[in-house]
Amino acid sequence: MTTIAPPRGGGISERLRSAIVGLDWILLFGVAAISVFSVFVVGKTTEDDIPGDEHFYLDRQILFTVVGALLMVVAMRINLDRLARWAWAIWGGLLGALAVVYVVGTAVKGSNRWIDLGPFNLQPSEMGKVAIAIVLAALAIDKIEDLGSARYTLYLGVVAAIPAGVVFLQPDLGTSMVYAAVLAAILFLVGVPWAHFAVAGSILAIAILGVLWILPHAGVTVLQDYQVERLTAFIGAERDTSDAGYQLDQSKTAIGSGGALGKGPDGATQANGDFIPEHHTDFIFAATSEMFGFAGGGLLILLYALVLWRGLRTMARASSQMDMLVAGAIVAMIGFQVFVNIGMTIGIMPITGIPLPLMSYGGSHTLTTLVAIGLLLGIHQRRSAVPG
Amino acid sequence: MTTTFRPRRPGGRVGGGGGGGWAPALTPRIAVRIAILGGIAMTLLGILLVRLWFLQVISGEQYAERAEGNRLRTVITEAPRGNIVDRNGNALVNNAIGENLVAQPRDLEGQRRVAVLTRLAGVIGVPAAQLIKEVGDGDDQPLEPVILARNVDPGVSQYLAERQRDFPGISLKQTYLRSYPEAATASHILGQTGRIGPNEIAAYRRKGYQGDETVGKGGIEQQYEEFLTGTPGRSVVEVDASGEPQGREYLSSVAPVPGRTIQLSIDLKTQEALEAGLADAARVTGAKGAAGVAMDPRTGEVLALGSFPTFNPEIFVKRKDKEITRINRDEDRPLLDRAIQGVYPAGSTFKPITAAAGIQGGELGVDEELESVPTITLHKQEFSNFERRGHGWVDLPTALEVSSDTFFYQVADRLWQAQDTDRRVFPLQAEAREFGLGRDTGIDLPGESPALVPDPPWKKKNFAGPDFSDFDRSWLAGDTIQLGVGQGYLLVTPVQMAVAYAAIANGGTIVSPTVAQSVRDPNGRVVQKLSAGRPTRHIEIAGLEQIRDGLHRAANGVNGTSTSVFANLPDDAKVAGKTGTAEPGDGGEDHSWFVGYAPYDDPSIVVAVVIERGGTGANAAAPVVCRTMGANLGFDGDLCGQPTVESR
Repeated sequence: MTTIAPPRGGGISERLRSAIVGLDWILLFGVAAISVFSVFVVGKTTEDDIPGDEHFYLDRQILFTVVGALLMVVAMRINLDRLARWAWAIWGGLLGALAVVYVVGTAVKGSNRWIDLGPFNLQPSEMGKVAIAIVLAALAIDKIEDLGSARYTLYLGVVAAIPAGVVFLQPDLGTSMVYAAVLAAILFLVGVPWAHFAVAGSILAIAILGVLWILPHAGVTVLQDYQVERLTAFIGAERDTSDAGYQLDQSKTAIGSGGALGKGPDGATQANGDFIPEHHTDFIFAATSEMFGFAGGGLLILLYALVLWRGLRTMARASSQMDMLVAGAIVAMIGFQVFVNIGMTIGIMPITGIPLPLMSYGGSHTLTTLVAIGLLLGIHQRRSAVPG
Repeated sequence: MTTTFRPRRPGGRVGGGGGGGWAPALTPRIAVRIAILGGIAMTLLGILLVRLWFLQVISGEQYAERAEGNRLRTVITEAPRGNIVDRNGNALVNNAIGENLVAQPRDLEGQRRVAVLTRLAGVIGVPAAQLIKEVGDGDDQPLEPVILARNVDPGVSQYLAERQRDFPGISLKQTYLRSYPEAATASHILGQTGRIGPNEIAAYRRKGYQGDETVGKGGIEQQYEEFLTGTPGRSVVEVDASGEPQGREYLSSVAPVPGRTIQLSIDLKTQEALEAGLADAARVTGAKGAAGVAMDPRTGEVLALGSFPTFNPEIFVKRKDKEITRINRDEDRPLLDRAIQGVYPAGSTFKPITAAAGIQGGELGVDEELESVPTITLHKQEFSNFERRGHGWVDLPTALEVSSDTFFYQVADRLWQAQDTDRRVFPLQAEAREFGLGRDTGIDLPGESPALVPDPPWKKKNFAGPDFSDFDRSWLAGDTIQLGVGQGYLLVTPVQMAVAYAAIANGGTIVSPTVAQSVRDPNGRVVQKLSAGRPTRHIEIAGLEQIRDGLHRAANGVNGTSTSVFANLPDDAKVAGKTGTAEPGDGGEDHSWFVGYAPYDDPSIVVAVVIERGGTGANAAAPVVCRTMGANLGFDGDLCGQPTVESR
């Protein structure tokens, strides 16, 4: 078999040993460092957000991280080749969960993305980021004989487009873009002809033009006003009076004023004074950079580089095609989100609701990313578990 | 393009060499693609680093200046809370303008802070140390104003306004305060407003509140918070070093949206008559508590609802701490809304329900006569009429007119025999619940008590544990017999009795009482109806004609228990109703009840009144009911008689 699972059974010490053998300590270090960073910044910037409960967000983010770490350990043990047989069930489950959101979903800030589970809201579209990676990898391998044909590319495209379309309509533009990035990575890695990428790229360009410019002129509304405003704000003038322009302006002021070494956790007036919108979620990078300056922001980017490097390395050494593709999709998923999120806070990417992996406050998001890291660690371990 | 990927096959290891001599699905082509992916990733991260370097290191100073110096501030403009008006549009609650004293921590640094606040302490009479601490607490968010005093006296505000220069960083900010044009009238219905408590913050946050708002506490203010609260305006303005806005240019601006007006079905005149009646009755009888509800039996709209003792809601606005403490500690509990939260035995006002239960089950014939003996022995226990008076053989209407106890003891005894504990058949209790007793009426005020309709399973549970014997737990014939005249363990609230009698008045519809009629926007347009479409339930009342006849005779007949009060009313306002003299469990003075409706042939108002330890029903409660009806139906309250003879 191509997949060598760690030996099962044995005493506790045996099990512990098998869990540790071949662990990617460097990846684990990078993830832990970012998580600690996250807990600190989330805790610090939200101290005054809820009068009477300084630790409201801090306590929750710690809980999410701890639960996420446990799920990560579970995810390490998942045999992806076996999971691949359930691809359609996972795909159906994802669509079902997204459908539940439509029926019983809770609207927050005008968007219907959450399922209310009492104390917490579950966001299925977040979980879907990992689910769609597994599904696409499994189906890509399943139909590998057709590789190179337009039908093959189209088939994977449709499988990804259906959940992505549902998410887009929630409306959650950012998350649907992550699905598209995962699809692109899988197609790229599996070896789809360049011509297909060219065609897909052209279609995408036409679609963007259509959504932003042609259809509104024809009187059809696809995006909400606020979405168009946010998407185009980064092109606009320095001091834009729209809400999105305000967000971007405040974010850049915060990052810029952080300077080389930052203003310190308590001196970060932009973050603590509520000037940065969503300072604990989408714009957490702005808060971090204001507090710790270029030293802190740069370090954070290097930590992401570390995580991505370990992911690429794991991919190159994966023990099966399935493992390789899933690892590639996870690297693309994390890398895409890091670039788009940080890019938007410094004004080189449009403002979309994409969280910064492992940094932004949020339950579903933190758990999903840690599960993805768990899968990466497992893939690395299966490779290393082979006696050399 | 050739295939770079190979179909899987057993032992799909390709290539070789290197490391441990084991290489998986990696082909040179895939390696190239992975390298490309890595290249893209690292390039993009590099772009981020370069851009960050440019922002923070190259132009950092410029941004730092922007963050420090001329900066943007969020100015929050309070939205006025909605008014509460009566059914005719008379204001019961509106807003007055007040001024809060606020400090900007950012404009008060170092020595200046101590100097200014010490000067200010003398003016407003608060210790300087406390002010310095409060401003210090605000240093975490130096751009947010700190409220040092709320609703400052006009004298103080004028003094400060004239000496603005001596108090840099201190300013007066307009605020809205609840104002009560009718003073203490309807205070229990209206409720108060206050800050969100520490335990409630999480719940309010979930509804989109910041946490520092003023919200409804109790009554209509709490019940309809979602309509009454406005949305504060937020503007982002650029301010100069002293914190003053520069020019008129708003970077973004959202205007405040005032709260909606709640129109009540309360009729101010009726409300005043009820409250004055309760207060007078309490004064005459020395009662420590009293309550009443007036309702339109056709719709369930509450016309008046009063509880005594009452309180002046102004004290919560003015934050008169001594007064608030006194009210909270007062043994008579002025904050308790006795009309919906006070529970009392119903006494004889319960008798129509016993009659309906008896006729319904066939235990009592519609025209059957029973002997109203002075004293009757049932199950070896003696039960007597009020003052051991006999009335001879009487039918149901007469029994209600004279309020015979022994008549209803006999009916209740028959109902006890019809009960079946194993099959949980309790005819009398079932009828009481049909009439809406023992459960919430659904009135749109918070904190309603369901009170209690006792039955054998309840008694078993209530007297569980080692402190009670099996005998304590068992339901005895006497328990049902006592219940038949509204005594024993039975407890009701005034609003429940109003609902039950409304059903007699309207022919069997159990209404959900409503205090609020509609939501209106600031221009007076109705945006939502609140009283229409509330759930109602229809019940068949057996012997309804006889019960109505009996209630009419009780208020107008020669031997009627409350004829002395209602006899002189005009023909178009004749009353039907029942007195109640309920013995409290503790053996003290009786509670005085009256529940009735008018005009008896086409009822448009039902009133239930209880005076705690007020004596007989006719004596204390009936005159209050009469005066309340007078205010509503338009007859002179002086036509109401004051009984001299004690009758039940």
